[in-house]
Amino acid sequence: MSRHLILDNPGVRRAGLFLTALAVVVLAILPVFVVERGQEGFVTNSLLFNFTQMFMMIAMAASWNLTGGFTGYVDFGHAVWFGIGAYGTGVFMTKVGLSFPVATAGGVVVSVVAALLIGSATLRLRGPYFSIAMLATFVATREIIRIAKPLTDGGEGMTLPPYLNRPLFFYVTLILAVLVVAMTWWLRRTQFGATLIAIREDEIGADMRGINTTLHKITVFAISAAITGLVGGLWAYQNTFIDPDIVFIERRTLDIIIATILGGLGTVAGPVIGSVVFYWLRDLVWSHFLHYHLIVTGGLLIALVLWVPEGIVGSLSDRSGATPLSRLLHRNREEQSEDDLIETAGGSDPDGTES
Amino acid sequence: MSGSTILEGRGVLKNFGGLCAVDQVDFRVDEGEIVGLIGPNGSGKTTLFNCITGVEKVDGGEILFKGENITEDKPYQIARRGLARTFQVIRVYRDLTVEENLLLSRQWGEVPTLRSFTQADPSLHDKAAEIADFLLLGHHLHEKAGILSGGQRRLLELGMTLMPDPDLILLDEATSGINPTLIQTIKDRIREMNGRGLTLMLVEHDIRFISDLCDRVIVLNYGKKMADGTPDEIKSDERVLEAYFGDDGGSDVD
Ligand SMILES: Nc1ncnc2c1ncn2[C@@H]1O[C@H](COP(=O)(O)OP(=O)(O)OP(=O)(O)O)[C@@H](O)[C@H]1O
Ligand SMILES: [Mg+2]
Repeated sequence: MSRHLILDNPGVRRAGLFLTALAVVVLAILPVFVVERGQEGFVTNSLLFNFTQMFMMIAMAASWNLTGGFTGYVDFGHAVWFGIGAYGTGVFMTKVGLSFPVATAGGVVVSVVAALLIGSATLRLRGPYFSIAMLATFVATREIIRIAKPLTDGGEGMTLPPYLNRPLFFYVTLILAVLVVAMTWWLRRTQFGATLIAIREDEIGADMRGINTTLHKITVFAISAAITGLVGGLWAYQNTFIDPDIVFIERRTLDIIIATILGGLGTVAGPVIGSVVFYWLRDLVWSHFLHYHLIVTGGLLIALVLWVPEGIVGSLSDRSGATPLSRLLHRNREEQSEDDLIETAGGSDPDGTES
Repeated sequence: MSGSTILEGRGVLKNFGGLCAVDQVDFRVDEGEIVGLIGPNGSGKTTLFNCITGVEKVDGGEILFKGENITEDKPYQIARRGLARTFQVIRVYRDLTVEENLLLSRQWGEVPTLRSFTQADPSLHDKAAEIADFLLLGHHLHEKAGILSGGQRRLLELGMTLMPDPDLILLDEATSGINPTLIQTIKDRIREMNGRGLTLMLVEHDIRFISDLCDRVIVLNYGKKMADGTPDEIKSDERVLEAYFGDDGGSDVD
C-alpha cells in the first residue's frame, strides 16, 4: 500500500543521522584551522562567517517550521521576531547598559511577549488570512521601530558595542542550531507535537475532541518567536550595527520559507537539509549573478511549489509527514470535506471488507 | 432503564440565511438511554448535533448537559464535560498514526503544561491498543490514518469517541460504509457500553439498526420535531411514514 522510498529505509535514516553527527563534529573543530587574512588555507574567517549565517538560518527555519509546517499556520512575517529580538538586544545594551547575554535574554522576552499579544489576535485567522496578517505585522513593526526614535534611534540605526570574535559566534550559533533541531525532533514525539499536527489536519475536529486549540497555537507561536528572537539578538551583536532596513527585510522570511519548503515542510530534517542547500545555492547565485539573485530565488520557489511540493525529504520518504504548502494555504474545511466525501462515496459501497 | 435527564434541548433554533435548519426543537435524552434521531436527508439531524457540540452557534433556545447550560460553551469545553461525537463527514487526523489519533482524543490537560511535552502514559497506550483491536484496527496501530479505507476511518472515529470515557456519545451515521458483520459487532459493543452506563444518541438511516438498539426515537422533518416515541410507536406513526418513507413505504432508506 505505501510506497517504499529511500528515506523509509531505517538503515538509510540511521546513516543520515550518523553523517549529520559527523558533520557537526567536523564543523566543531573547523575554527581551529582558521587562517588569517592573506594566509593560504581553506578555513577563512569568511567561511566561518558563512557557516554562522547558515546555522542561524537552520535555527530560524526549524522554528518557523513549528508553526508553518507542524501547526499549518504559514507565517509570512516571521522575521518580525528576528527584528524584535535584534532591537530588544540593541536597546538593552546601548540604552540600558546591560551585558550581551542579559540583553539578549531581554530581547527574547520581548519577542515572546509580543508573540503572545500578536498571536492571540492573528492566530484566530486561518489560511492565507493569517499569512497576510503576519506580513502586515512585520511591515507595521518596522515602521514602529522607525518612529520610536527615542528608544530605537529610528532610521539612523544603532551601533552596539563592537565585539569581534568569529569563533564565538560560530560556536554559539552551531550549538543553537543543533539544540533547536533536537528540540523539534523531540517535540514531534510528544503529546504537544501530535496536537500541533492535529490542529494542522483538522482544527475544528481537534476542538470538538476537547483540545483548546487556541492555547496550543499561541504556545507554539511563542516558542517559535523565542528562538528567532534569540537569533536576531545574536545577529545584532555580531553585526554591531542595526537599522530598520537591514534588520526588517522581507527576504529574511522568504529565505526561511524557501529553505523549509525545499527541505520538506513539516518534517524535522527538512529545515536542516533545505537551509544547507539553499544557503550555499544562494551564496553561489550572489557571487555569480548578483543582479539576478531575486529572480533566481523566485524561480526556485515557483519550481519547488510546482514540481517538488513535498520538498527533498518529502519526496524521498513516505512517512515524513511533509505537507505541500498549497495544502496549508487552502486549509478551507469546505474543500477538505468535499474531498473526504468523494473519497468515501467512491469507496464505501461494496468494499466493506478490510485488508 | 432510564434515569435522570443527561441532555436537554429547549426550543433549539438554527437558521442558515433564510433556511430554518433546526426549528425550535425540544428534546430530552435520559441517562442510560439509547436515543435514535432520524429524518429525511436535510431534515437537520447533523445541524442539531452541531448545535449540541457547540460547532454551530444556536440562534435561539438553550441546551443543557448534565443539568448545566452549555449553550455558550466552546466545542472543546463541551467535549471536556464528557460529550463525544463522530462526524458524518469523517474527521480523522490523516498525518497521525492510528494510535496518535486515539491518544489525542482523550481530552488531556486543557493548558499545555510540562506534561504535554512528554509522551502519553503507558496505560493510555494500552487502552488505545485495546480499542484498536476491538475495531479491527490493531494491525494498523502504527500506520498513518491517511492510509485507512473509508470504513476503517469510520471505525477509528468511533474508537476516538471511546478514548475519553465520555458520558454521552453522539454518532452521526457511524455505520455507513461498514460491512454488515462489523455492524453487528458494533451493535453488540454499543449495547455492552450502554449496559455499563453510557448514554448514546444515534443518527442512522438504517431503520433496522435504529429499532434494534434504541429505547426511543426522535423524528425530524424540515427542522421540526414531528415525533418522539418508542421504535414501535414511530414505525406505526402515519405522518412519519409519509415524511420518511414517501409513498412506497419501504423499510430501508438509503
Ligand atoms: N453550514 C451550512 N450552511 C448553510 N446551510 C446548511 C449548512 N449546514 C446545513 N445546512 C442546511 O441545513 C439543512 C439541514 O442539514 P443537515 O446536514 O443538518 O441535514 P441532515 O438531517 O443531517 O441530512 P442527511 O441525512 O443528509 O445527513 C439542509 O437543508 C442543509 O442544506
Ligand atoms: Mg446529516
